[in-house]
Amino acid sequence: MPLVRSFFPILAFAAVYVAITLVITNSYYQLMMTLVLVWATFGLSWNILSGYTGLVSFGHAAFFGIGAYTTALGQMHFDLSPWLLIPIAALFGGLSGLLIGFPTFRLRSHYFALAMLAYPLAVLYVFEWLGYQEVTLPMKRENAFAFMQFTDPRAYTLIALGMMIVVVVLSRLIERSRFGMSLIAIKQNEAAAEAAGINTLAWKLRAIAVSGAIASATGAFYAVVLLVVTPVSVFGMLVSAQALTVTMFGGVGTVWGPVIGSAILIPTSEILHAQFGARFPGIQGVIFGMAIVVVILAAPEGLFWKGQEFARRHWPALFASRSKSTSGDRTDMASANMMAEPSPANRAHDEVGKVILSVRGLSHSFGGLKAVQNVSFDVSEGTILGIIGPNGAGKTTVFNLLNGFLRPDAGEILLHGRSVVGWTPHEMCNAGVGRTFQIMRPFSRLSVIDNVVIGSFVHARNEKDARRLAENAIDKVGLSSIADRVANELTTKQLRMMELARALAGRPRLLLLDETLAGLGQSEVTDVVAVLRRLAQEGITIVIIEHTMHAMVRLVDHFVVLDHGAVLVEGPPRVVTQDARVIEAYLGTKWSAYAQA
Amino acid sequence: MLKLDGISAGYSAISVLNGVSIEVGAGEFVSVVGPNGAGKSTMFKTISGTVRPRTGTIKFEDIDLVAVAPSRRAHLGIAHVPEGRQVFPSLTVMENLEMGAYTEAGRRHWRTNIERIFSLFPVLAERTNQFAGTLSGGEQQMLAIGRGLASSPKLLMLDEPSMGLAPAVADFIFERLIEIRRQTELTILLVEQRVAEALESADHGYVLEAGRVVLEGTSETLRADDRVRAAYLGM
Amino acid sequence: MPVAQLVENILQSLTAGLLLGAIYGLMCVGLALIFGVMRVINFAQGDFMMLGMYAAYYFFVALGMNAVFGNAVGPYVAAFLAGPLLFVVGYVIHQALISRVSGTKTAQLEGEGHYAQLVLTLGIALILENGGQIVFGSILHSVQTPLSTNAWIISLWDGAVEIFVNRARGIAALLSIVIIGALAVVIARTRLGKALRAAADNPTAATYMGIDVDFAHRIAFALGISITAIAGGLLAPNYPFHPYVGLEYVIIMYAGVVLGGLGSILGAFWGGMTIGLVQQLSTLILPTQLQNSAIFVVFLLIVFFRPQGFFGRVVERT
Repeated sequence: MPLVRSFFPILAFAAVYVAITLVITNSYYQLMMTLVLVWATFGLSWNILSGYTGLVSFGHAAFFGIGAYTTALGQMHFDLSPWLLIPIAALFGGLSGLLIGFPTFRLRSHYFALAMLAYPLAVLYVFEWLGYQEVTLPMKRENAFAFMQFTDPRAYTLIALGMMIVVVVLSRLIERSRFGMSLIAIKQNEAAAEAAGINTLAWKLRAIAVSGAIASATGAFYAVVLLVVTPVSVFGMLVSAQALTVTMFGGVGTVWGPVIGSAILIPTSEILHAQFGARFPGIQGVIFGMAIVVVILAAPEGLFWKGQEFARRHWPALFASRSKSTSGDRTDMASANMMAEPSPANRAHDEVGKVILSVRGLSHSFGGLKAVQNVSFDVSEGTILGIIGPNGAGKTTVFNLLNGFLRPDAGEILLHGRSVVGWTPHEMCNAGVGRTFQIMRPFSRLSVIDNVVIGSFVHARNEKDARRLAENAIDKVGLSSIADRVANELTTKQLRMMELARALAGRPRLLLLDETLAGLGQSEVTDVVAVLRRLAQEGITIVIIEHTMHAMVRLVDHFVVLDHGAVLVEGPPRVVTQDARVIEAYLGTKWSAYAQA
Repeated sequence: MLKLDGISAGYSAISVLNGVSIEVGAGEFVSVVGPNGAGKSTMFKTISGTVRPRTGTIKFEDIDLVAVAPSRRAHLGIAHVPEGRQVFPSLTVMENLEMGAYTEAGRRHWRTNIERIFSLFPVLAERTNQFAGTLSGGEQQMLAIGRGLASSPKLLMLDEPSMGLAPAVADFIFERLIEIRRQTELTILLVEQRVAEALESADHGYVLEAGRVVLEGTSETLRADDRVRAAYLGM
Repeated sequence: MPVAQLVENILQSLTAGLLLGAIYGLMCVGLALIFGVMRVINFAQGDFMMLGMYAAYYFFVALGMNAVFGNAVGPYVAAFLAGPLLFVVGYVIHQALISRVSGTKTAQLEGEGHYAQLVLTLGIALILENGGQIVFGSILHSVQTPLSTNAWIISLWDGAVEIFVNRARGIAALLSIVIIGALAVVIARTRLGKALRAAADNPTAATYMGIDVDFAHRIAFALGISITAIAGGLLAPNYPFHPYVGLEYVIIMYAGVVLGGLGSILGAFWGGMTIGLVQQLSTLILPTQLQNSAIFVVFLLIVFFRPQGFFGRVVERT
């Protein structure tokens, strides 16, 4: 099973680490071995939130400190054992995560960063005021084991190693699951993720809860190792910086990142500190600072990814795709496709001509500007509707209103007869509305199938189902032969088809396509038009905004022409393109006069 | 004065322009028209420097423009009136015009230029201390053109000045362009969606569609050509 | 507590708040200049201020400002000299490092490269703080001037209420206001100032006008650093400092800038003033350690409920 095999590296790492640990006798270095693991685990917790979602937290010290004080105060006041307190700390950490996340996720990027920065620092002063300038854990000579107090520091290393492995396993499970993919989707393009059916707020909250829980557990353990807790040492900015630094240096968004980062930076700085600390106090900080500066300028994603890129270029054989497994399944997929639950095609035959989307009196203003004025039209199932109009006519605004990104000031939107005004984009996706975006933002490092599978989570029952839906969708757009290719190697047309596949994976009944043909050459346009026509024949309703008129006139059944936010004219292509009002809107008022003269 | 030769350009993976060649002679008024998405703005941006062409050359008075940094192009005598006006919203009308005169030529001829700008657009003279962000669309367009004139340019380039403006206001802007042509000897390059207005005072024009020049000629010949309509509407 | 005493306490805190607030205001203006023009979040702003403090100290002591100008005037001359020195430092750092993650090159990036800016300036902060510890040592430094122990006394209501205005702080506050006034004139009236505002408003259009936006950013950055450094130099005679002092002021600066309205340079002055007042007035009701917490709470409240701030014009940026 591939999952188990992927854990070989970490187990190998663990084995080597244990070997080294047993050999070291210097107590300072033994402590260092423990700390490397502690900071690696802390980095892993940071990674779960910030590495995957891209929401950079500068305040993870808040969770770390909460955990540390849970152990310190729990032992001091209630005489509880760290074995119990560490899980309790994790619980506190998770709850704090939710408490912090809920209001803070609403903030925009730099406000989010500043707010996260402020939390631990605010709490720091509170703890100082409470009188906890220095809390020392009481020594327990009788029940040493029960209170996690060992005479041999190497015992701590082993516990830390155990903790780290658990967190690595957890991270890997998250990474490969729907959880991880949803987070990555949010990082890549939050709007597109919402439109693909991902409840972004819910996933962010889950991420911060897990991240906070792990960070607190780590902090709780740290307190046991050091036996002394001061507000600055656990809530201070340097602690938050540490999580960020080791992960960023080692590699963001991968379990190996924090491990590599910690394994390199901590020993380096500690050894430098040991050798030169007397003459150059603060050398550790300087090293960390320089590490961050160099990394952010030269390899912003971290050493792991840079290394992988390097390896890919020089030893491509190591990264041969797993195409063997999928090509064998393809024939099964094809037949399975036909026997699957009633495909949209069957439904179309029953309900041809039925109105699937009805828009009435839709209006929306931005400040004083009337972007959309009293727009009404109907879309029949299985047809292709084109929304056209000169620049600034309000076409994209209409889409955003239909999709749930904007709430109309007035008007009604009926999907299958049900009002969907005020629904969020992911709810719309759930109801069967798929959307593609003008500016594509694929997950460049993932394969086509991994990019598409994001779209299938909305209706898939489990991971396997999701994958099957994704493969179906890829098949529909004709990308099956490159399903395993990495996204940053694709051409524009292939990227557009992949976007389309992602929308299809959610099994939509209505597709909103935003400039799908932009940037394509003549023959590519013909191919895409063919795919879209086929989808319509299978019963999917398509509404498309496009400027490439010569393609649109061949593709659509019906046009709605917008000008200055209002509907100018509707009708089939032949009629609309000769309509005097449309000509006037596009070419100017004086054109008709000249043309007739 | 300005010559584009075989320009291909685009954004990241997308190719917008494919081998576009146009020529603007000294003292001429040239219009480039075409439907949305044809690449008109991208062409404008390759001349102003915001977008770097992948292939092809751009020559301004025999200077290779692609080698010149974008912020230096104004100093060569190229004035840009960008798409969507792009005024400085928190600066006053007067300060906007002063920014237009940032170039040396602009500073030297400030007196003459500001008089001309105010006579062409009296409403700007009335609102010199108003913040540009609070002006109406039409007033902002006048300000943007005034800003362009304030740099004492050799070439005045306008990117879709009628966009987002009410028809009456757009007509006024075009009429003012004709007046500018009459009063000065400026070379003008107009990129526009509204064909008739754009061709009205132009010496000659180009029609762009899907990143290529599909038609060119004098404004008389283009005005009578149904292929222009077909370029816009597809059939 | 007798009314007179209460009134005196309040007025004393108010005065202290105003004096401190003026310097905080100057500090915030430096940061606002950088954020307003470049939209860069500079983590290391507090550490550049720290460098300003040490620069003032060394100018005063080592370079003999003390000898030339005496104890009273010397510290302030030294503070002013820190400005040009840090201007050069800021210029070089922008050219070498900051420009790679900000400006016209990164304007198209997702999130406008904010992540990279935050992390880079965090790295610079760490280097400056810890490097500072190596170079300057961790003993507290301060600039000695007899003015810090002298005060003007304002007597109200026939001596019932007496307010002490510390001379050193009073002069520092006045100088801050003078500098801000000068800066305001430069920004509003000079060609450079208008070019900076134009670059901040609309970098694309500014480029079209012939303004080199990247250079404008460099000047803004260097200027912002030098102004905050002077603020540090003005604080030096009154507040002992150490290499990590920057951390304490970073949040104060950001709170002031956000309060004033991100993008409003003069609003930041009022923001800083408010923070100073909040800090001093909170001593009336809160114990010392919680004063700083109070600032954070205020900061978080603003960020949540009124992120656009209170002062300064709010004109939409293109």
